[in-house]
Amino acid sequence: MANPVTREPSEQSVSTGRRTRPHHRFEVRSLGEVGALAVLIIVFFAINPSTFLSIGNIRTILDQAATPLIVGVGATLVVLMGAIDLSVEGVMGAAGMAFILTTENSRGSVDLGPLSFVVGIAMGAALGVAAGLIHTRLKVPSFIVTLGFWFVGLGIATVLFGTETIPLLPDGGIKAWPNETFLGLPHSFWLAVLVIAVGWVVTRFTRLGRFTYAIGDSEEVARSNGVGVARTKLYVFAVAGACTGLAGILATLRLGAGAPTVGGGVLFLTVAAVVIGGTSLGGGRGGVLRTTLGVFMLTVLTNGLILSGVDSSIQSGVSGAVLIVAIIFAAWPHRSRLRIVK
Amino acid sequence: MFRTRSFRKHLVAALAVVVLGVSACSTTTGAGAGGTGGSQAPIANEDLVLVASVINTTNPYMASMIEGAQALGEKLGVEVQIVDSAGSSQTEISKIQAILAQGKKVALMVNTVASSDAPTIVNAVKQAGGYVVIWWNKPDSLEPWDVGNNFVAFQKYSGVESGQCTGRALAESLGGKGNVIGLAGVEDSTTSQTRVAGFEDALKAYPDIKLLEVQSANWDPQQGLSVTQSLLTKYPNQVNGIWAADDAMIIGATNAAKNAGLYNDIKFVSDGLYPPVVDMMSEPNSPIVGETFHRGFMAAAIGLYTAYLAATGEIDPATLPEEKRDSLFKLACVTPTDFQDYTKWDGDVDAWIDTLIENGPWDTEPTPLVGQGPEKLPGT
Repeated sequence: MANPVTREPSEQSVSTGRRTRPHHRFEVRSLGEVGALAVLIIVFFAINPSTFLSIGNIRTILDQAATPLIVGVGATLVVLMGAIDLSVEGVMGAAGMAFILTTENSRGSVDLGPLSFVVGIAMGAALGVAAGLIHTRLKVPSFIVTLGFWFVGLGIATVLFGTETIPLLPDGGIKAWPNETFLGLPHSFWLAVLVIAVGWVVTRFTRLGRFTYAIGDSEEVARSNGVGVARTKLYVFAVAGACTGLAGILATLRLGAGAPTVGGGVLFLTVAAVVIGGTSLGGGRGGVLRTTLGVFMLTVLTNGLILSGVDSSIQSGVSGAVLIVAIIFAAWPHRSRLRIVK
Repeated sequence: MFRTRSFRKHLVAALAVVVLGVSACSTTTGAGAGGTGGSQAPIANEDLVLVASVINTTNPYMASMIEGAQALGEKLGVEVQIVDSAGSSQTEISKIQAILAQGKKVALMVNTVASSDAPTIVNAVKQAGGYVVIWWNKPDSLEPWDVGNNFVAFQKYSGVESGQCTGRALAESLGGKGNVIGLAGVEDSTTSQTRVAGFEDALKAYPDIKLLEVQSANWDPQQGLSVTQSLLTKYPNQVNGIWAADDAMIIGATNAAKNAGLYNDIKFVSDGLYPPVVDMMSEPNSPIVGETFHRGFMAAAIGLYTAYLAATGEIDPATLPEEKRDSLFKLACVTPTDFQDYTKWDGDVDAWIDTLIENGPWDTEPTPLVGQGPEKLPGT
């Protein structure tokens, strides 16, 4: 949420960017979210002392968080520009299907080996580029373009799925990779950490990152300062598409089967995580690490409710209510400074 | 101020749209609700279109339904149209209304997205002089004989029987002793509710089987995976058996167990015998110990053929016994030793359609009519 300290007029200048007080900004502004996450963890630990913080469950939470974390990095970049990407579920499906059909699978289509990962990620990036081109060249709002691309992606996935049998990954091999551990934590989580680290470096230390913030702050000011707005937007949509493609591959690996609906529920999870983390939907404020907090709040909540034995018919209601409370607490210190509530 | 005013304008506009929409709907349904349908002149093949409406096109069960509808259309020499509801009641209803408006008489089989869609669809079809058979979901109070001949029949497989059959298989495979968990479908789905009720009912005969928990995984493999993952950590080394309300979720559950290195330590049962599950059952010492066999292509073809017979005047719905208008069809319980007796039907859909046309919708093996709906939950 907004902190006027980091929004002094001098910082409007693109070249000096928003690097003045990176540590200060993250810590102070995120205390609410960190606190809310800590409260969730403490409450669930109190209810389930023997299971919630067991190593098995920590691995489970980290594994379940990995897919939305990776999507969340791309989604954060898009939201930072003041745009939105609603296409993630469809793009995940298309990328996941493109991946599984080009790797060793029970349908025996083609086996391109490691190239299949490239195919999946490229599918995501290509859809992102296409959406970005329509958004920037034809001046169609990102909301509409990406809504359309959700169904374009789902359509591609459905065509690839066809009417044949479900393609399955053979046991062992790459299917087992996300769940194997490194330093005690699942590979899927390490992959997410890597993507988050890259996302963080990009937003913090590169021109692309600074331009992204600048566009979100004010497109006109950015343009008059020489930012290639259209090109930056295109890059960001391509990166977001690639992240979503990678997430589609990971989700397919975890499931061990190809499914056009492999991204089901991810859109809500990531958009909510971006907002809960404190990235402004208006653009210009927030960051990748905040989204990480948001994803963890949501994942811990889902997992904790199941562990606490909350009846599944009231789980979604409870999780919605807990979320609203969490957001109120997280945003409390900033409530007077919120510029826009819409 | 500007923002507030424009927000109000939007709100007013949105309300207007909603009000208009509701009044438009009620006009249609209101006009269609009166009177019970009398008999109508038979419709010739060339004036008829067979329509199969499915919930989506990506679920293997739905793909099988489409296959059955197309095979039947080819055999009967009647045009077939497929409606993909894309998981949405609104899409389903508007696409069906568009087809009804095209002019040809419609014989419709619809696998309703939600029970509450049924009255609207039935009334629209009745207005247009078409014939409809509904599969799987309708409100218990909406009976075909109350609507008239245009609502030919409602058909389904018993969910209670499915749950009892797989519940029993799971308990037997554990020697009547152990802890089990259940994965339900969408919470408000009657199919899921009846299957869970049957499962819980079957376990009553096994006092040493403890049902640790039933959680919803929304018919979704991905959710089946993550719910199972969470439950396996909630009950470490305690889960001996996993029941799922359908095979999409058991695909997720078996993978969660494989990931946890527990696949061969847990027994699994589920409903539907999808192709990947057939493969798993074919493995030696398969942990998939029980399944039910029923097929989308059979359901769709039985439903469409019933509607077709009514449209062409070969049956008069008004004279049919009630069990042929609110029907439960036979579901087979299968195990690793006998499932191949049933999967043989998958090999030749066309030949099965021939037997359907020969024997009629209610007497075709392996799935003849066995009872009358609406289905009752055990103990009620």
